[in-house]
Amino acid sequence: MFTYILKRLAIAIPTLLLLIVISFVLMHSAPGGPFTSERELPPQVLANLNAKYGLDDPLWRQIVNYVWGIVSEFDFGPSFVYKDRTVNEIIAQGFPITLTYGLLSFAVAVIVGASLGVAAAMRHNSLLDYAAVGVSIGAQVLPNFVMAPILVLVFTLWLSWLPGGGWQGPEYWIMPVIALSTSFMASIARITRSSMLEVLTSNHIRTARAKGLPERQVILRHALKPAMLPVISYLGPAFVAMITGSVVVDIYFSTGGIGKAFVDSALNRDYAVMMGVTILMGALTIFFNLVVDILYGWIDPKIRY
Amino acid sequence: MAMTPEQAVEANALVGKGRSPWSDARRRFFRNKAALVGLAILGFVVVFALFGNFFAQWSNEELDYNVMGQVAELGGPSFASGHYFGTDDLGRDLFARTVQGTQISLAVGLVGALIACIIGTLYGAIAGYVGGRTDNIMMRLVDIFMAVPYMFVLILLLVMYGRSITILFAGIGVISWMEMARIVRGQTLTIKGREFVEAARATGVSAPVIILRHIVPNLLGVIAVYATLLVPLMILTESFISFLGLGVQEPLTSLGALISEGAGTIAYGTTWQLGFPLLFFCLTLFGLFFVGDGLRDALDPKDR
Repeated sequence: MFTYILKRLAIAIPTLLLLIVISFVLMHSAPGGPFTSERELPPQVLANLNAKYGLDDPLWRQIVNYVWGIVSEFDFGPSFVYKDRTVNEIIAQGFPITLTYGLLSFAVAVIVGASLGVAAAMRHNSLLDYAAVGVSIGAQVLPNFVMAPILVLVFTLWLSWLPGGGWQGPEYWIMPVIALSTSFMASIARITRSSMLEVLTSNHIRTARAKGLPERQVILRHALKPAMLPVISYLGPAFVAMITGSVVVDIYFSTGGIGKAFVDSALNRDYAVMMGVTILMGALTIFFNLVVDILYGWIDPKIRY
Repeated sequence: MAMTPEQAVEANALVGKGRSPWSDARRRFFRNKAALVGLAILGFVVVFALFGNFFAQWSNEELDYNVMGQVAELGGPSFASGHYFGTDDLGRDLFARTVQGTQISLAVGLVGALIACIIGTLYGAIAGYVGGRTDNIMMRLVDIFMAVPYMFVLILLLVMYGRSITILFAGIGVISWMEMARIVRGQTLTIKGREFVEAARATGVSAPVIILRHIVPNLLGVIAVYATLLVPLMILTESFISFLGLGVQEPLTSLGALISEGAGTIAYGTTWQLGFPLLFFCLTLFGLFFVGDGLRDALDPKDR
């Protein structure tokens, strides 16, 4: 197990470095620097600015400094646009919000999706099964940016039940969570259903039933664990997509999460903030993939470390 | 299923006519009702995108000065004014805009999937065919690439190099070839041990020619299936970026950009601005998903 984790780490760390290097090189090969604007700056001012932000160093030294800043002090540097704020401050402001509704959405997608899938598989070919299949096919074409305006239209404008945006209390969480989790919930339900159906016809389930175990125990003790394996391997990509989707939620519901900072920085070319967010999201993704891999190795004894 | 494969072979023997795997696949596909529905929906969307402009009373750039400023009251869908889908916030005809948006979205899907397919197939086939340490390194690299959240990198790219449609088209394809490479590599591994590859190698055919002439053609079924499944994902990605206002720029538009505009104006009671682009977006994805699933069942029946 220990070597397995080490092996996964051996992939995770270069991935993160690669991401940093890619975004750094991209940023520096862009036509025009971060201080290019409509108003031409006097060359001396520009040179001073470049010197202040270390942009006149050779590229490799800048990368090394940047990575070293992150590794040693967790410092992503200053913002290029807001003179008095560092990237860390900007991220620290939005990150807890993103984390709150992100984790909630993730939990909702997994719990509701898996329960729906298990229920559909247990009542195979029943009305419930057809309903679950129908919902999960329908929800495939309802990504977050489609769900968000529909939810606002129905629950805010027509029914006036929920606030259309902001971040002040639990009632503000509902629509972001639904918007973000719907399509993943559907996918998880579909995957759970088909893998559960497969497991339910396998020999060890027949044995469990033959020896007279109550159905509840057959499902919970014997069928659930193997049936969850494909679901777990789907969690990695789902998490990445959810992180990405949080950008839409932040923009549309004005929740003030980190996605807002990302799009704002993209629009006013604040490269430092963009890179900071990209790297943070990348690190989260890579960390989560690591957790999924370890979970997978722990649940499936067939995986050799 | 009406006939088992054995019966089908027998029936063929009686008629005395062979069937290629492709015609087998075609029969399986046309027996699949969901796939046919998907094909019909997709056909409708494509016809709409290609010929919709012949029915439009307005072009996508004309401003209708009669409704300007009173879009919520006068800009609704009506046959009398010639705006079948209503107008957008500026008084442009939404029907023509939706036609244009559907065209761009379909184009992004096709071009993106094509690029992803070409890169993924070549990468996977080379890794699988060469094997050994090269294969190991190449696939490790794919593992690493797959863990990068590319949506952010793509947005980074778009912002740096101007939000041009070429970069968007190419970028979407370039970030999504990894899954394809894995599948193709797996298939290549099984094919490369076959006699015809051995024969080709024995007669001195060079590796690039073997890959292009003997291996890739035998993978076309798998490639076709995953290509079809890639198209809706490309459209989703593009729409996502355009929804954020970072993708396709005016005067061009895509379904994602139109949904974004419509979503921004629902508070003023102009629901049609959201509804029609949304409808076509969902129809397109529905059609593509069903056709893709149908193709997978038809061309890759053991994969179920």
